[in-house]
This record gives sequence, structure tokens and C-alpha cells, in this order.
Amino acid sequence: MLRILWVLWPSFLVAGIAEGIFFTIVDPQELYLFGEPVHLSKIATYSIGFFGFWATCAASSLMTWFLQLGAAELNKGVGVTTPAGDGAPK
Amino acid sequence: MASNPQMPPQESRPNFVEESLYEVHKKVHPRAVSGVFATWRWALVWITQLVYYGLCWLPWNGRQAVLFDLVERKFYIFGLVFWPQDVIFLAILLIISAYSLFLFTAVGGRLWCGYACPQTVYTEIFTWIEQKIEGERNARIKLDAAPMSARKLGLRTAKYGAWILLAFWTGFTFVGYFTPIKTVWSSLWSFSLGPWETFWMLFYGAFTYLFAGHMREQVCKHMCPYARFQGVMFDPDTLTITYDNERGEPRGARKKGVDPQSISKGDCVDCGICVQVCPTGIDIRAGLQYECIGCAACIDACDQVMEKMDYPKGLIRYSTEHAIESHWGWKEIIAHIVRPRVIIYSTILAVICLAFVWGIATKATLRVDVIRDRAVLAREVEGGLVENLYRLHVINVSEAPLRYSVSVSGLDGIEMVGERVIEVPAAAARSVTVQVRVPPGSGKRGANQIFFDVKSLSDPKVAVHEKASFLQP
Repeated sequence: MLRILWVLWPSFLVAGIAEGIFFTIVDPQELYLFGEPVHLSKIATYSIGFFGFWATCAASSLMTWFLQLGAAELNKGVGVTTPAGDGAPK
Repeated sequence: MASNPQMPPQESRPNFVEESLYEVHKKVHPRAVSGVFATWRWALVWITQLVYYGLCWLPWNGRQAVLFDLVERKFYIFGLVFWPQDVIFLAILLIISAYSLFLFTAVGGRLWCGYACPQTVYTEIFTWIEQKIEGERNARIKLDAAPMSARKLGLRTAKYGAWILLAFWTGFTFVGYFTPIKTVWSSLWSFSLGPWETFWMLFYGAFTYLFAGHMREQVCKHMCPYARFQGVMFDPDTLTITYDNERGEPRGARKKGVDPQSISKGDCVDCGICVQVCPTGIDIRAGLQYECIGCAACIDACDQVMEKMDYPKGLIRYSTEHAIESHWGWKEIIAHIVRPRVIIYSTILAVICLAFVWGIATKATLRVDVIRDRAVLAREVEGGLVENLYRLHVINVSEAPLRYSVSVSGLDGIEMVGERVIEVPAAAARSVTVQVRVPPGSGKRGANQIFFDVKSLSDPKVAVHEKASFLQP
């Protein structure tokens, strides 16, 4: 649960900022989707845009979480005991 | 990973600890408190929430006074209309907010967290509801521990029901700042609210319910970025909630009115009320810690105890590191407010505020974009004249419909065909196509600079002189 929140919460905050900046500069009606002008309502475009940003940011947070895992956590399940203090989770 | 909560091994966890969203934590049941600072906090609750719940209902010139119209991409704030081109004002506003926060924090510590942050404000309201329905701290602890019964079920239903209603109203209000609230209100009752409006209303409401009802201090402790960096704005002259260690220790219980010196103890009677009232469940007597949101509930509570004991108030008080060390009074504390950090923050803030006010006051009420028609470079028309086509995009940023005269200059014999007077409704934009013609020999071959003048017919000061290029073949 904690890990899920570590991924979802910071990405939520950053997605909010990204959404604000992006749609201030870009009018949703100027967007093209697969070569076709977007014909969703503006509120729908903003909302989908927000979830798009959120998903992208969450992917980045997930990667960060994944890459900072210690050796002990990665070796878990293969029968290797990593000495404490050597990348073991604090 | 420094913030990784230290989880005690399974067997050493006390029974009353519940598994929570962020960490293993003791549920905090803050005890109600009254006093000077509690009154201040409630005043702020009233002010901020009257503004939040009320402002969206205020009419202005036949529209909603404050409306962030995302569909039309226009922000209305009373008499002002902001277009996407005005994003600079939003940026300046954010910088002003940031510097105000820095300044307040450097001088008065976590004033924002303790009194004005929505998390604090909604937690205060939700806790008040909880206390009205389930009773005071001890009653709530008992109720939590009690097995499910008809009474407990009834109280819980009432509490969650009241929370949900308030959270829903909060979500409804939130949406009402982006879609006119009267429309939202009427479509709510005719079940015709758009899917995304419905979604955001429930989304915002659900987060209010979760954050203010259930997560409370955990939001401040684990989710708020500000709580983590506010420490860098502190210095030894920053006002913080401080326990006077020297006066209080050694702490210990005693009878009312006993002179502490006669029993060789400090003034702290170790009643623990400062811990019971703390919304984040910390003991301020251990010193300043990042969990302290600066709400001053412990000051109010301790002052009441000191009064009962006939001891002077202020064992826990707003003070600074230097003031505690050097036994300063308010006079010295106030004298130390003026220091380089505060002067720098104030100067920057004052300059930006002036720039903002100046920018708003001189904000153009008319904008014109001239776009040359690229499909037709230049063509010859009747009488041998050379014609170029232009599209004028005229934006009326003012609150009234206006008529503008359009004229062109810059080349000998230049003339314009098309609308010479255009009317643009209030806070709207209009595009018109104009044909500009010159005699064949006028100007050089290639691009020539010409000018469009767009002037308001009612106020000659509202005018735009915009350049464009005329192509002579």
C-alpha cells in the first residue's frame, strides 16, 4: 500500500502542475489525435489529459521506486543472503 | 530512504495500533481546546470557508463573479477577465504566494499550516462534527474500543453521513468554480450533469472526506512537500511553538497551588494535556519537530492548566530559539524580526506586488493580431490595384461590447475594402477579413511595412497600432 502511494501521490502533484502549464499554452481544440482533430468536449479533453499526465508521471515514479530497490530485496527468493548494510532496505 | 517509517516488528506492536495508509500509527484523538489561538483558528476557518462556499454564488455583471471558465478558456475575477495570453499574471501570482509563504514562515513559523491550510481547516471542521456526534476524546477512545452495537452503529452512521454530506458539498462547490454553479445546481437536480463534472465532483469530495476525515495529520506528516522543506526557512529568530524547558523541568505531578520551588520541581505538572490536544499526536516538550504544524493548541491547553495551578501562563508559548536562550521578552523578539532574511524576502515581495498591481492596472483592454492570408500572396484587382488579404483577430478584453474603427496606413494611396467599423461583444474575440489595395507603383517590390490602427469609437485611448507586411509583386 505504502509503495503504491509513493508512486501515485508525487505523480498526482506533478501531473496537476503539468496539466496547468500544458493547457494554458495549448487550446484543446488545436490538438490532433491520429491525424484527426480532437472532437471531445473541452472538459473531457482536460480530464483525459490530466489522467495521461498522471499515468506518465506515475510510470516515472514507479521506475524510481524500482531502481532504488536494494540488493537484498532483489535477491530475495533466490537464496542469497546479502549482508546487512549492503543495500539492504532500511 | 530517510523517511522510511520505522516499522516495529510484528510482535512488539501494541494492540491499539492500527494499520493505516502510510505507516503503523496510533490513531490520534485530539482533545477539544479553547483559548486565544483556537479562536484565531476558528476565525480563519470561517473566513476561508465563507469565501470558498460563498464566492461562487456571487453574481457580477450578469455572470458569476469568480469563474474559471475552462470551456471558453477565460478566467473571470470580478471586473477582470483573463485570457490564456495573460498567463504571466498567474505566474506572478504564484511567485507572490511563494514569497509570502517564505516571509511568513521566516517570521512566524508555520502560520500557514496552523491556521490557513485547507488540510488544517477541513480537519478542524471534520473533528468538530466528530466531537458533536461521538463526544469528547475519552468517549471517542471508548467508542473505538467498544464492540459493534446498535448505538455505535448509529453514531458511526451519523458521523460518516455528516462527513459525506459536507464532502459532497465541497466537491460540488469546487466544480462550481469551473462551470457556472447555478447550471451545476440545476442540472444536479434534473440528473443531467455532464459525466466529467460528476466525476470531478465525486473525486474532489472523496478526497476531502479521506483527507479530513481519515488521514488528517498523516497528510501533513507524509504527503505534504511543504512540511518537509519549511525547516530551511527557519532561523534562530523565527517564532515557533516552544516549551520553556528551563522553566518546566523537572516536571512532575503535584497538588494545586504548590510552589514548584518548595518541591524542587519545574512548572510542568506533567498532565499530558499538551499531548492530548495535539492534532499530530506529538509531545512538544521534546522540542521542535517537523510534525508540529504550529497550530498552538498546546499553548491554549497549557495556559488553562497554568491558570488553574496559579502559575504564570506561557510555559508553552510562541518564542524563538534566541529568546529562550537569552530570556528575551516580546520587545527583543520583535526587535529581531528585522534581519537580512526578512528584509530580502520583503523587498522581493514588495517589488513583485507592485509589478503585479501595475500590470493589472495597465492591462490592455484591446488586443489585435494581424495575420496575412498566406494562400493568396498578392493579386491584381479592378483598376490595376494590387491587393493583399489580411485577417484581423480583434480581442475585446473589456466587460462591455465595443465598436472599433479600423484603418490602414504606410504606403502611398493605400486603401482598405471591407468592414471599417467592427463590433466585438464583451470579453470576446472576432476575426474579420480585410482587403488592402495600393496602386501598382506604390512602395518597393517585395515586402513593405504597413500599419493597422484599431481604435475604440467610445474611448480613443483604447487603440492598437499593429504592423504588418504588404507584398508588392
